[in-house]
Amino acid sequence: MGKRLLWTLVMSSALSAIGAQAAEKTAIQVMHQGDPGFVAAYGKVAERFEATNPGVDVQFIYAPHDAYNEKFSAAVMSKQLPDVMELDAPFLANYVWSGYLQPIKPLIDKDVVDDMTESNIAQGTYPIDKDLYAIGLTDSSVVLYGNKQYLEAIGARIPKSVDDAWTREEFETYLEKLSKLDGVKWPIDTFRGYGIKTEWITYAYGPILQSAGCDLIDRKAWKSEGTLDSDACVDALAMMQKWVKNGWVVPQSAGTNQFFVEGNPAALALGGHWVYAEAAATMKDNIVVLPLPKFGAKGASPDGTWIWAVTKTSAHPEIAGKFISFLLKDKEYRAFVASQSGYPGLKSFAAESPLYAPGGPMAIAFEQASKTAVARPPHPAYPTITAAFMQAVDEVFNGGDPKEALTAAAEKIDQDIEDNDGYPPFGEE
Amino acid sequence: MTMQQATSSSSVRKAPARRHDTGRLMQETAMLAPAVILLTVFLIVPFFLSFWTAMTNQPLVPRPTPVRFVWFNNFLRIFQDDLFWTALWNVSRFTFWIIPAQCGLAFATALLLHQKLPLRNLLRGMFFLPAITSMVVVCVIWGTLFQYPTGPFNQILGFLSGGAIQPIDWLGDPQWAMFSLVLLSAWQAYGFQMIVYLAGLQGIPDELYDAAKIDGANAFRRFWHVTMPGLRPTHVFVLVITTIQAFKLYTQVAILTQGGPKSSTETVVHYMVRAGFEEQKMGYASAVSVILFVIVLVIALIQRQLLRRFDV
Repeated sequence: MGKRLLWTLVMSSALSAIGAQAAEKTAIQVMHQGDPGFVAAYGKVAERFEATNPGVDVQFIYAPHDAYNEKFSAAVMSKQLPDVMELDAPFLANYVWSGYLQPIKPLIDKDVVDDMTESNIAQGTYPIDKDLYAIGLTDSSVVLYGNKQYLEAIGARIPKSVDDAWTREEFETYLEKLSKLDGVKWPIDTFRGYGIKTEWITYAYGPILQSAGCDLIDRKAWKSEGTLDSDACVDALAMMQKWVKNGWVVPQSAGTNQFFVEGNPAALALGGHWVYAEAAATMKDNIVVLPLPKFGAKGASPDGTWIWAVTKTSAHPEIAGKFISFLLKDKEYRAFVASQSGYPGLKSFAAESPLYAPGGPMAIAFEQASKTAVARPPHPAYPTITAAFMQAVDEVFNGGDPKEALTAAAEKIDQDIEDNDGYPPFGEE
Repeated sequence: MTMQQATSSSSVRKAPARRHDTGRLMQETAMLAPAVILLTVFLIVPFFLSFWTAMTNQPLVPRPTPVRFVWFNNFLRIFQDDLFWTALWNVSRFTFWIIPAQCGLAFATALLLHQKLPLRNLLRGMFFLPAITSMVVVCVIWGTLFQYPTGPFNQILGFLSGGAIQPIDWLGDPQWAMFSLVLLSAWQAYGFQMIVYLAGLQGIPDELYDAAKIDGANAFRRFWHVTMPGLRPTHVFVLVITTIQAFKLYTQVAILTQGGPKSSTETVVHYMVRAGFEEQKMGYASAVSVILFVIVLVIALIQRQLLRRFDV
C-alpha cells in the first residue's frame, strides 16, 4: 500500500514537472492533411525545428483530406484555429475573403519567397488585393500516362511536347482501338475511384471543359449561367459520358491505379503527377508521359495544390512563419517530396528534381504547367462551385442528361453568389 | 386524464400534510429544475433556434456579408430543388424496404431465440453483436464485401450460380446502390429490434399459453391468438422507431456512396449535412431539418392513429 502511494506521488510530481516544462514553451498548432508518409515527414521536420528552436513546441492537428473543409469550419466555429494551416489552393479565396488568413510575405524568409515559381505565387495569391497568403514547396499537374506496349500495338502517335498533344478525334480513336485490344480491360483510368465528392473531379475534369472552350464560371462577370451550361460544356461532359457508357473508363467501384496494377488492365491514365512515382516503380520503361489532349482549340491543364498559410488569429505569427520557412528548406523533407514525384513550386527544388528537368520523364508536366495551366476559379464561392460541379458529373457519368445537370449546377452557383450579395469586393468593377 | 386523477386523489389523501407547505414546493421545484433546465437548454431552445435559423441566410461560419431574415425563401428553394425530392423519395424507398426486412428479421430471430435452446444467451449475444458494432466499422467491412467485380459477395453469387450471375456493382450501380444499403443496414441494426421483441415475448404471461393449450390450440393458433396480440405495443414501438431511424439514414451514405451514384442514395439528412457543411449554408440546412422533423412527426402520428384504429 505504502509503496503504491509513494509511486503515485512520484509519478504525479514527475507529470506536473513535465507539465510545467511544457507550459514554458511556446506552442504553435499546425493543421494539415496528407497520407501517412507525409504525416511522418512533417513529424520529423517538427522534431528538427524544435531542436533548433528549444522554446517552441509544434503541435499537429491532422484533418483527413476528404473532410478538411468541414473540420476547418469546426475550428473556426469553436474559435480554435491553428497557427499554421495547410489548405487546398482553390479554397484560398474563400478563406481570405472570410478573414481567416494573414498576408504571409512578411513572415517567410525572403530567399524562400524569391525562390517561388510563377505558378506557386499564383496559387497562393488572393486576386483582389494581389497579396500572397500561402506558400508551398510544390504545385501540381495532371498528365496522360500511357502504357507503351499498348500504344505501340495500336500504332498511336506519341506526342513529344505539349504543342503536338492529341486532338479530341485522335484521343477518341485511340480509346476505341484500345478497347478492342487484347489485355486491355479499360482503355483509360480517370481515377473515378477517388470518389464522387472529392476535389479531384473539379481539379482533373474541369480542364477538359476549359479545353473544350468553356468554364465553370465566367471569370469576369462571376456568373455561371451561360458558361457552365453553355453548349461547349454540355458537349464536353456528354463526350465524357460517352466514354463511360462505352465502358472505356475504369468504373469507380473498381478502385484506383488500374493503370499500373498487375496485368495493367487500363491502357491510359488521366492521373495526377503523384501517380508517377508508384507507376514507374512497377512499370519501369513501359510508361510514357503525355500531355493532356486538346479537346478544343486550346489545351488546358489543372494546377494548385495543398499550401501553407498563417491564420489571422495566430498568437505567434513570426514563429508560424519561421516554421513554414524551415519546412520548405528542410533537406530531408524535400528529398521525401522528390521521391513522391512532387511537382516543383520552388526554383531550387526544381533544380533538385531531375524528374521535371528538360529531358526528364515528367518534363512534359512542367512544360504543360507553363503553357496551359488554368487555375480553378479564385472566388469565395468556390466551395459551392466545386460541390455543384461534382454533383453534375456524378449525374452525367451515371446516365443523367448533361444539359439538365449543368443547368442545375449553374443555378446553384449563381444562387449562392446572390445570397452573399456577390461576395463583395468580387464582381465590383 | 390519468395523471390528473392520480394527483387529485393523492392530494385528497395527503391533504393534511400539504397545508401551507411552501418548503415542499421549493423542494419539488429544486428537484425538477435540473431536468427542466437541461431539456430547455438542449431540446427546446435549439428547436426554436433551428426554426429561427431556417428563416435566415445564416452561414456556417461568420462572414463579412450581413445575415438577413429571408422568411420562407429557404423552404421555397428546398421545395424547388429536384435533389431534395429525390432525397425524400430515396428515404421513402429505403424505409419501405427496411421495415419488412429489418423488423421481419428481428421478429424471426426473437421467436427463435425465445425457445429454450441450448446456449440461448450466447446466441442472443451473437445476434445482438452487429447492433453494438459501430456503423462506421460495419460500413468499411461491407464496403469490401460489396467490391466490384471481385468482392466476396460477387464471388459467392458467381460460385453458387455456376457463373450465370454476372458480378453486380453493388454500390456503383444506381439500380443497386440503395438496395445494398438496405441489406447492410438491416443486418447491422436488427439486433436492437430483436431485443425489443424478446422483451415483448417475455412479457406475455405463460398462463395464457397454458390456457390456450388446454383449450386445444395448436402452435400456429397459439402464435396467432396469444403471441401476436400480446406483442401489439411492441409492434407499434418497433414500427415507429424503425421508421424514424430509417428517415435519419446518413452514416452508410456518407461512408459508402456519398449520395451517388446519380443521387440514387441521396437522403434528406445527407442533403442537409452537405448544405450545411460543404456549401456552408446553415440557414438552408436548418430549413431542411425543420422539414424532416415535420415529416417524421406526421408519419409517426399517422402510424399511431392507424394502429389504434386496427386495435393493435
